[in-house]
Order: sequence, then structure tokens, then C-alpha cells
Amino acid sequence: MLPLLRFDQVSVTVQQKSLLTNINLALYNGDKAVLCGKSGSGKSSVLRTLLGLHPVTSGTVFFQESALTPSTVQNIRSCSAFIGQEPILGADNVRQAMLLPFQFKSHRDRKPTEDQLIEVLNRLQLAATLLNQESSRISGGEKQRIALARGLLLGKKLYLLDEVTSALDTESKQAVFEVLSDPALTVLSVTHDPEWLERCSIIFQLEAGRLIQEKRNEYTGH
Amino acid sequence: MNTLDIELPKMTLLYGLSLLPVLLLWLIGLRLTKDIVISIVRMSIQLALVGIYLKMLFELNHPYLNGLWILMMLLVADITILKRAGLKVRYFALATFTAVASSILFSTAFLVVLVIQPTLYYDAHYIIPLAGMILGNCLQGNVIALERFYSVLRKNENEYATFLMLGATRWEAVRPYFKDAIKAAINPTIAGMGTMGLVSLPGMMTGQILGGSDPWLAVKYQIAIMICIFTSTTIACIINLKLSLNIAFNAFDILNDEVMAKR
Repeated sequence: MLPLLRFDQVSVTVQQKSLLTNINLALYNGDKAVLCGKSGSGKSSVLRTLLGLHPVTSGTVFFQESALTPSTVQNIRSCSAFIGQEPILGADNVRQAMLLPFQFKSHRDRKPTEDQLIEVLNRLQLAATLLNQESSRISGGEKQRIALARGLLLGKKLYLLDEVTSALDTESKQAVFEVLSDPALTVLSVTHDPEWLERCSIIFQLEAGRLIQEKRNEYTGH
Repeated sequence: MNTLDIELPKMTLLYGLSLLPVLLLWLIGLRLTKDIVISIVRMSIQLALVGIYLKMLFELNHPYLNGLWILMMLLVADITILKRAGLKVRYFALATFTAVASSILFSTAFLVVLVIQPTLYYDAHYIIPLAGMILGNCLQGNVIALERFYSVLRKNENEYATFLMLGATRWEAVRPYFKDAIKAAINPTIAGMGTMGLVSLPGMMTGQILGGSDPWLAVKYQIAIMICIFTSTTIACIINLKLSLNIAFNAFDILNDEVMAKR
């Protein structure tokens, strides 16, 4: 089986500061992976590099076995959902935020119905009444789940999560875990959450921009 | 009617008038005398030089010389726009020049060739002041458009990246900031047109009336110039901002910090 994404000796230097050095890692379809390490160890840089937000200084990032270049970056961006600690909704209210990506040419013909919006919100323990709420009144945890819901509506297969469970209560966290445990979804996350660490199949340990350890749970079978 | 001359003794009297604000400022404790003197001297010297040059330009009235003067104004405007907008001149000079020059030449030519129709199309009496007025206003608009667009985009870099992640193309992702910047750039002109004549008498009209023109004629010229200013500012800002997008972003659609001037 070919990996979904692969870092091949990737180094990243931004403004003379080395963020990543010689990173080699691979992720297969359905993998749930965690990036661990102290603050500044390069966890978020891995996610940003993957999305073409940091230019690769040397080495190659592969997504679905094609190298990340200006002409392929759109492909990885359209297949993945990046959700940070305080996701940006980009619209005045929740409904507009959920429908925002469907204004873009790439998704214009896939606009979800009202029922689909409600269904995806419910899966993440969010009430349908939230749709009419102003974005400014939404809590951090709700924003994270709305961003996740938006990814699900777009049919994204790769989820890049940066400390997503930090603002969630136990119940919401369970709902998020439930959704992400779908074998069709691949997850690469930055987290310190012990529960999430337990559920993950791979742990990448980073230190000062280097990958120092990779722990793979045996049952994943790769 | 000929405009009455202000002879040297009267000019001296006029300079004397500026002593009044200097004295008032000094009395309230604002020590600005040196700055004021420098500004008044600079203004006098600069305008005297322009006066000499314009007199020569009008007497010779040569198409190449007139064109050269407009070209010089465009180059100075180009550098001024980019410096004030916080962008590096060496990256954006050609884009800004193309945008501003094409819009200025288009609207000035439209005004002179189709509307005013002087015997000589290149007549310095018409093209120099008209192109100058349009350019001056266009400059302000372009500074606002570029400065606003790039400062708002930098402030909202995460939002912009979110739009990209949600499947937007570069153009789709920058569009909200683009529209906001163009609006900010042309708003002063729209507001100016809306209140013209109510709040103050516009400069060009005042000049023409003082120069002995019929007020009705001055009104028509003022309307003509305002429409040309509005047209060229809008065109130049849109072209300039659009062209700048090809320079300011890297191939991965990320804003390139290298092209921004350090503040």
C-alpha cells in the first residue's frame, strides 16, 4: 500500500531560522498520528509545510505520491482540513461560515442542504440552533467543531489538527473522537491529550525540528 | 477680466501675515517656528522653480517636452506611491507605473481629445495642469489601495490561509480584502463629488474664476476633471492591485515578506 503522505528528508528554514531538519515520515490511509514534542519542536511546522504554507528548503513532501509543488498544492489543500486552536470561521454567522467554502468555484456545485448541515452538527454534539448564531458569540470549542463539521461537509479525508481537543468538554471530545475514528479518515494531530494519544496508531516525537522517535502501534498493520 | 498681479511689496506683506500664526503658536507654547520657516521657504523655492519651468514649457509648447514632463510626474508618483504604501520600489515599480500611466494617459487623452478639443492636442496649457490634477488624486487613491490591501492581508493572514484551505483560489481568497481596499481608495473621491460646492469651492474652479473665467465654464471644467479623477483613480487602483498580486505572493499563494518594505 502506498502512503497517503510522505516527508522525504524534508528541511525547512524560514528567515534564516531552521524549523525542520531532515524529516522522514509516512502516513497511510486511515492512520491516526500524533506529533509530540515541546513547544518550538516543529510540530505545527510539519502541518504548515504539508499545506505549502512554509516553503521546503530541501527534500520533498509527497501527497498521494505526487511531489508538493505550486501546481499540486491545491490538491492537498482541497483534500485536507486544517483546524487550529482558534479556527477562523470567516463569516458573520455560523450558517454563512458552514456554507463559505461552497461559494468557491471548486465546491460550488456541492452545496449542502439544511438537513445535511444539521446532521453534521449533531454528530459533533452541536445544536441546530447554532446555525443562526453570530460567529463572534461562538466559543473556541464550538469553533473547532464547526471547522471540523465544515471539513466533513467538504468530504475531506485528511485532518490536520493543532491542539483541537484542548477547548472541549468530555462529551464533545468523545463526539470528535468518534467522528475521527472513521477508518476512511486520516488524522495528523498535535496534541497533549492522553486519551487521544491512546487512540492513535502512530506517535512522532519531535525535538528541535528533528524527528527523534516514531512509535507505531502493531495492530495498524503497515 | 485679467487677474490682478501680486507685486513684490504685497508678497512681502503676505509673508508678514504668516508671522501671526507663528506668534500665536509660540504663545501657546508650541515651538514650531523653525519648521514653519523651513516649510515656507521650501514652498516658495519649489513653486518658483516650477513657475520658471512651466513658463518655459508653455512658451516652447513642444510635444516631446510636454510628454517628458508628464513622464517625470509619473515616475515621481510611482516611487511616492510605493514608498508610502510600504512596498519595495524595485519589485512593484513596473506594475504601478503601468497601472497609473495607462489610466492617466487614457483619462487625460479622453478629456483633451474628445471633450475639450483644443487646436493642439498636446497644448501644455491643457495637458500639463489636467494630467497633474488627475495624477495627484490618483496617487492618493493608489497609496490607500495598496497600503490598505497589504496591511489588512498581513493582519488577517490566518483567515486568508483558511480560505485557501477551504478550496479558494488565490483570487477568491484575497477578494474580500481587494474589495475593501478599492472601496477605501475611491471613497474620498466619491464623498468629495457628493459634497462639492456645498462644503467648499473646489480648487480648480476657484482658480479659473480668479483667472477671469465665466463661473459656468469653471463649473463645467470642474465636473469634467472630477469625472476624470474618479475614472482614472478607479482604473489605476484596480489594475495596480491586480498586477501587484503576481509579485507579492510566492508560487504557493503565500505572501512574500521579501517584497514588503521594513517599517
